[in-house]
Amino acid sequence: MENPEYLIGIPLVALALLGLLLAASLFAVPAEEGAGAAVARRRHPGAHPEPSEYVVIGLILAMLTAVEVALYYIELNQKLLIATLLVLSAAKFGFVVLWFMHLKFDSPLLARLFATGFVGAIALFTVVIATLGASLI
Amino acid sequence: MQLPAGSHALETNTGLDNRKLLMWLFLASECLFFGSFIAAFLLYRDRNTVGPYPEDMYDIPFTSVSSFVLLMSSLTMVLALAAIQRGDMRGMRVWLVATALLGLSFLAGQAFEFTEFYNEGLSLDQNLFGTTFFVLTGFHGAHVSVGVLILLSLVDASWRGKLTEDNSLTVELAGLYWHFVDIVWIVIFTLIYLIQPQ
Repeated sequence: MENPEYLIGIPLVALALLGLLLAASLFAVPAEEGAGAAVARRRHPGAHPEPSEYVVIGLILAMLTAVEVALYYIELNQKLLIATLLVLSAAKFGFVVLWFMHLKFDSPLLARLFATGFVGAIALFTVVIATLGASLI
Repeated sequence: MQLPAGSHALETNTGLDNRKLLMWLFLASECLFFGSFIAAFLLYRDRNTVGPYPEDMYDIPFTSVSSFVLLMSSLTMVLALAAIQRGDMRGMRVWLVATALLGLSFLAGQAFEFTEFYNEGLSLDQNLFGTTFFVLTGFHGAHVSVGVLILLSLVDASWRGKLTEDNSLTVELAGLYWHFVDIVWIVIFTLIYLIQPQ
């Protein structure tokens, strides 16, 4: 598929705006949101993380995506490539669910509820791949 | 009993707000919804009797940028939640609008990709790859579209004073939905785009 070059500019402009917003937000944190408040909140059961933690998780997610795409272009053994991509994908999934969706911090009941659906989907996947002949390779 | 952040002090058997419980139940059912489509895609992807085939269609650099945009929208969404939880309504609106713009950017990329695929001969009824690909990614795009509408409605409610610091759970629920749409794309990007049969 051939793309006109200008098209890639749309998401790049969106990302540049995001970068500006993130940079601006560093100067917009109120004084009471300093390190003391952060520590106090972290010790509070069920408290959500600080914005700075979210930004760190966001950077990790961006890095993992970059590694995934880089691996795609490297001549790797197919099985090793698939295993690595699945691990990286699972890591990204985990970071978003545990930190951004707060399952790490919220009631375990919510985690169990979500796990039920997730395990069901994995079971469905396994059955399809094992019995109906679908394959990742 | 200590309630988790974002919960309202309602008397429920679980100690949790029922809306939050319902949202997680919905997301659990959505796992099966998308799991079925992804499994169907993997099952039928290689059973085409006519082209075009997946390896001829994908533009990985383009989809990578789109994936990155959606991933970053999860970051802006969670920053919007953090903003309303500390009472910064203006910050919340800024981050919600940023999330909606990133979502719209992703949708624009998807619309372009669909158009290109169609122009190159891949349609919903061309072959099994086309059918399963468009149904899976189309439903995902529909979910993103609904998410963008929810985000914009929150911004509108905030402007009209109907969304206040006390309603942070509303933003949290919208965020849960948005993050779920993101994690579904994480799986789709890896299984559908990056992992291709030899």
